Amino acid sequence: MRKYKKTIIGSTLLLLLLIVSILYPLYGPKDFNHQVLVKNDQGEILGRAPFPPSEQHILGTNRNGEDMHWLLLYGAKYTLVSTLGVALFRVVFGGIFGIFLSLWAPFLKSYVKDFFLTFRYVPSILIAYILMFPIVGDFNDVAVSSIVICQMIILVFIGFPSVTIFASDVIDELLKTSFVQSSKLMGAGKLHIIRKQLMPYIRSYGILFTVQQFISTLHITMQLGLFGMFLGGSNRAGVMGYDEPPKPATISNEWAGLIGQNFSEFVRAPWSILGPVIGFFVVIVIVNVIKKELEENLYGIKAVKRKKKAIDPKMLTYTSNQFEFIQK
Amino acid sequence: MKRFFRVFIRIILIVSGILLIFNLPSLLGIGKNHVVLNFKTLWINVKADFQLLVDIKGIGYLDFFKKLEIAESYQYTMTILLVSLLFISCLATVSAVLIILSPEKVRNRLKSGINFFEAVPDLLVIFLFQFFVITLYKSTGLKFLQLYGLFGHKPYFVPIMTVSFLPFFLLLQFLIKVIDEEQVQQYVLYARAKGMGRIRTLIVHIMRNIVPLLILQFRTIVWVLLSNIYLVEVLFNINGFNQQFRKIVYMGGDFPSLVACLLMLSVPLLVMEAAGWLISKLIKGKEAISL
Repeated sequence: MRKYKKTIIGSTLLLLLLIVSILYPLYGPKDFNHQVLVKNDQGEILGRAPFPPSEQHILGTNRNGEDMHWLLLYGAKYTLVSTLGVALFRVVFGGIFGIFLSLWAPFLKSYVKDFFLTFRYVPSILIAYILMFPIVGDFNDVAVSSIVICQMIILVFIGFPSVTIFASDVIDELLKTSFVQSSKLMGAGKLHIIRKQLMPYIRSYGILFTVQQFISTLHITMQLGLFGMFLGGSNRAGVMGYDEPPKPATISNEWAGLIGQNFSEFVRAPWSILGPVIGFFVVIVIVNVIKKELEENLYGIKAVKRKKKAIDPKMLTYTSNQFEFIQK
Repeated sequence: MKRFFRVFIRIILIVSGILLIFNLPSLLGIGKNHVVLNFKTLWINVKADFQLLVDIKGIGYLDFFKKLEIAESYQYTMTILLVSLLFISCLATVSAVLIILSPEKVRNRLKSGINFFEAVPDLLVIFLFQFFVITLYKSTGLKFLQLYGLFGHKPYFVPIMTVSFLPFFLLLQFLIKVIDEEQVQQYVLYARAKGMGRIRTLIVHIMRNIVPLLILQFRTIVWVLLSNIYLVEVLFNINGFNQQFRKIVYMGGDFPSLVACLLMLSVPLLVMEAAGWLISKLIKGKEAISL
């Protein structure tokens, strides 16, 4: 039986986080309780940001004296929406290309694999670093929207080969099944097979791929943020207390950016990094639970089918390429 | 002839793939309000990079590459990789055997515990290790765990621990799954019917049979280790091989140097693939004989 209990709960939680973050301007302080110096009644300075977690600052503050929990709430929407967008685009483009490869151009598959060979041997964070560097490596005064579009294109591109190959493998596997074979024998066209036979599988695999890509995109953005490649570029106003060169801060207050921005404060204010990282961790755990359940649904059903097949040998299918003729 | 032609096409595709992938940013011209696709710049850059790559006898060929401390840092990074790999495989094998031998209730609980680690991001692990070492130093004043690679220091212990943490759980999860699958095989039942002890069957027979699978899995482990080592080197400020690579990108090194660095980085993966290929060929050969 298919169960979607965990999926529903998990996605509700994420949706709730997103809505709370989008509605932030309605309830949250605009300057994130900006407060650099704490003075007592006589005007003597008691302390200076960053402050550790306490009753006033639940998750502590960063060097600019802004409350981490407000920043996290504010930035969540950018992290979630951009990651989901990248994951969706990866799956849509990669999936369509993979289906095209399997159905119309199977001879091209090995060449496509060769073309994207680099992705098999170089960790994707290195590729992402090389590709992102010319775009956000330095301050530049172009519109945020065009930087974001460029970054999105690159992030989508990094995941594209693996999704393509994976989708193509899945489709190849499905094309061998008996129902597709018999449909083909009865004269079904390729589009008809996609529409009627493959569509249910494409739908569930598509959701699973999206969830997997969501996780991998989260990892990549987190690591890129650490190297100062923030989504949307950096803010020249930056972090307070540094002279030339100015230390860049993230424009969007997106979580990965928060990690990168506060990284140099690790010894003095570990809470300002652990906060966003744990935020990432929680989101990844939730998505992972969803992924597990979807996988169980998808592969569990397959396993049941396989058992049935083993009992009834008549249901076994044979295709011509399983045999090798001695006399050709 | 046909085969030669195919190899030729493949080489062309691989080279053009590398050229095009790393020149992708020049395709995306950032305009004031929109993104422009300028194929012309891409073509010019690809052509220039290709000429640089081919021009082996040129004066400045790999000049940048020679300036970096390649040999030393490469040795360091590969040492960390190798030691972590050995450490992980020993520890994971021992823990897998212990978990399999433990009573069922404990085993199930441990399994779900291991599955939980799948979701932990590598950055969190690195940060927590760093945090732990710093607090240890702050509270006790002991400095026996060296963390940062300042002044040319090359710490070994903490990086290896940090790097191996997540891959260890990955391998452990894999081993438990494989052993569980192996335990319902016929030969295990046969051994039990002959009155062989459970521990003996596990250690002598099952372990011997999963070695090929283990070696095939090593590719994934090395892959995860490589990207973890990259992060650790950057975060702990260690002057390892990945830092040289970063210098090339940062200081605008030439394209051949970048390719050379990437090739060196992919050597361990190639070795693992070769080992996997050899093993699978060996097994196939054996099966052919036994049939």
